[in-house]
Amino acid sequence: MAKLWAIIKREYLERVRSKWFLIATFFGPIFFSAIIIVPAWLASTSKATTDVYNTTLLDATSTGFGHRLAVNIAVDTTIPGRMPVVKVVAPSELTQAESLATREVMRKEKSGYLVVDQQTIAGESARYAGANATSIADMTQIKSAIRQTILATRLQNVGLDDAKLKQITFIPLDFSTERITERGRAGSGMASVLFGFAIGFLLYLSIVIYGQTIMSGVLEEKTTRVAEVVMSSVPTDTLLAGKVLGVGAVGLTQQILWIATTYVLLKLRAPIMAKLGAPTVNFSLPDITLGAGVLFLLFFLLGFIFYSSLYAAVGSSVNSESEARQAASPLMIMIVSTAVFIQPVLLNPTGTTARVLSLIPISSPIIMPIRMAVTGVPTLEMAASLGFLVIGCAAALWLASRIYRVGFLMYGKRPTMKEMARWVSYAR
Amino acid sequence: MTEYAIDIVNVTKRYADHTAVRDLTLRVPKGSVYGLLGPNGAGKTTTIRMILNIIAPDSGKIHIFGRPSNDPRITERLGYLPEERGLYRKMQVRRVLKFLAELKGVRGKDADHRIDEWLVRLSLKTPEKDWGLSKIDELSRGMQQKVQFIGTLLHDPDLVILDEPFSGLDPINSQALKDTVVDLKHRGKTVIFSTHLMDNAERLCDSVCIIARGEKVLDGTVTSVKEEHGQRNIALALEGDGISGVAAILRDHSLVKRADDSNRFFEIEMAPGADPQALLRRIVESGAAVQRFEMIQPSLHQIFLQKVGATGVEEGMTGHG
Repeated sequence: MAKLWAIIKREYLERVRSKWFLIATFFGPIFFSAIIIVPAWLASTSKATTDVYNTTLLDATSTGFGHRLAVNIAVDTTIPGRMPVVKVVAPSELTQAESLATREVMRKEKSGYLVVDQQTIAGESARYAGANATSIADMTQIKSAIRQTILATRLQNVGLDDAKLKQITFIPLDFSTERITERGRAGSGMASVLFGFAIGFLLYLSIVIYGQTIMSGVLEEKTTRVAEVVMSSVPTDTLLAGKVLGVGAVGLTQQILWIATTYVLLKLRAPIMAKLGAPTVNFSLPDITLGAGVLFLLFFLLGFIFYSSLYAAVGSSVNSESEARQAASPLMIMIVSTAVFIQPVLLNPTGTTARVLSLIPISSPIIMPIRMAVTGVPTLEMAASLGFLVIGCAAALWLASRIYRVGFLMYGKRPTMKEMARWVSYAR
Repeated sequence: MTEYAIDIVNVTKRYADHTAVRDLTLRVPKGSVYGLLGPNGAGKTTTIRMILNIIAPDSGKIHIFGRPSNDPRITERLGYLPEERGLYRKMQVRRVLKFLAELKGVRGKDADHRIDEWLVRLSLKTPEKDWGLSKIDELSRGMQQKVQFIGTLLHDPDLVILDEPFSGLDPINSQALKDTVVDLKHRGKTVIFSTHLMDNAERLCDSVCIIARGEKVLDGTVTSVKEEHGQRNIALALEGDGISGVAAILRDHSLVKRADDSNRFFEIEMAPGADPQALLRRIVESGAAVQRFEMIQPSLHQIFLQKVGATGVEEGMTGHG
């Protein structure tokens, strides 16, 4: 056990100390946050920006219409205290006030100004001029605020009291949108699809990166002949186990750091979005229970063991990096062909394809967590998936350890599949 | 308690297309320096790997200090220097050594202390520079060999196994290695090394075993091997001219079985039943100026050539040693 620990410790510390690990750990969350924040930010441009508050309202109605309108424009804001500045002007002074307001916009102190007068109250016209005049969202917001204010004024004029007025005009409509494509509903909500995609991508990336890390590590030990020294001190199975666990722990550390920092970044996204000039987008992070979190990590770990043990076997059977890349191509094909199914599974997480793929150990470590992210998975399917994956891991480890201990001592030409099959049959 | 450090009985190891080691029996006495001699592809490395339990024999038994070679307690008493050397290139020297020590059950402060001692001893740590803090690939080849050597001996093993230890060593490290082997012997340790450099073996070893094509050709103490395998050798040294006349005499197979010609020095193996005096007479009569004519024990090199010959080398098996 002490020796296994020594191997795990070396694999872990040497990798965690590397610059590469620090860089990846730091940039990972930024990348994943970007994946989630950028689409949300793009989506937010269809909503009114804070520009609509940063306006001057030139009120030439002399009825206080401007004040009520300002409140209506600002009523949606989550940032209190920000609403258009109302300037009451006489109709004769309007030209002068407009040129003043224009200069303010030119000096970028204001986004624009809005002119309301008797014709506005009559429901005929209003004018807006500003830097954001082309923003459909901003203009729609201002327009609907004007309509609402006109309506409220008219209702007041026919004698409705304030309380009734509020009751009638208060319509806090939360309008959510969902896209329908030729394949049906485009997932069960943007947040969970993005989340599922992020999970799938993360697992795919980690398995490829850490699988190849293990492969290079094994290859280094073989080409430098360190393997022989180590094998004279510990059984090959211990060496293989130590490697897989050590590198697996590195991967797990990185995943946990990634998930934690991404989570924090997304929690802090409101201020970030505000800085970007967008109001908070209304989507909540999917609720991840502790159990689901543990299952995610379990799938990662098992998937990692499955692939990395095979990668280790490949690393032990070849003699150079270029040979290794070639020899690892079947593994790469297995992983990439799984990744190809990420999108179809996201779109139809309960379909036959998704259910079958989440039972096969080759694909289940990536597909099942995705399904878990976007839909409920029956306990029985979950248990079957885990069961098959555990069996798959045991088979991969058995196969790998046999190739590993023979391959390590074979130098010279790259073995054929037939030779490798024979190695498996060697007792030791 | 057994008197043997290594006791190999009837061991055979087969690979798919050939037998690497065939029915090998050999015993290495405790506290001795033992040479495993043979051409490339003779089965030396396979034998060493079986001793180290890196691979298991197909049949036969191997005992180390009286215990089966797969006894986990044994590995901590073994130190191994593989034929081709290398270490984790990107790792700090000190951390590599600590790792190797931990694999052999030496931990913590004890390991640090020993590493310091060795680094100083092999001048890898001087008041000016501590190479222990450098990465392996920042070291020169000679220094890397020293580090590997420290890794082999750090846990103070009772049995040290060196596979072709002299290959690739510069003269200084080579001398340091010889000194260390002698020192190990004085401290009661057993050293076994494989080599095809007979001179080193002859000077260092108490006992030797020559193997070829996976089979033992002969073994025993260096003295007994020499005694058993011919007192009929003659060292002949000549002066001046007349060498060409001697060459003709040496080709006479009624007198000479074979002669190793080093231009002015010959090591001659007499033909069975031939009289050395008759040979001396013929040489003198040929007019050559004899500087030395001496009945000698054959060198290990001669015995090796005689027993193994050119046919002992099989091509293309270096992978299985």
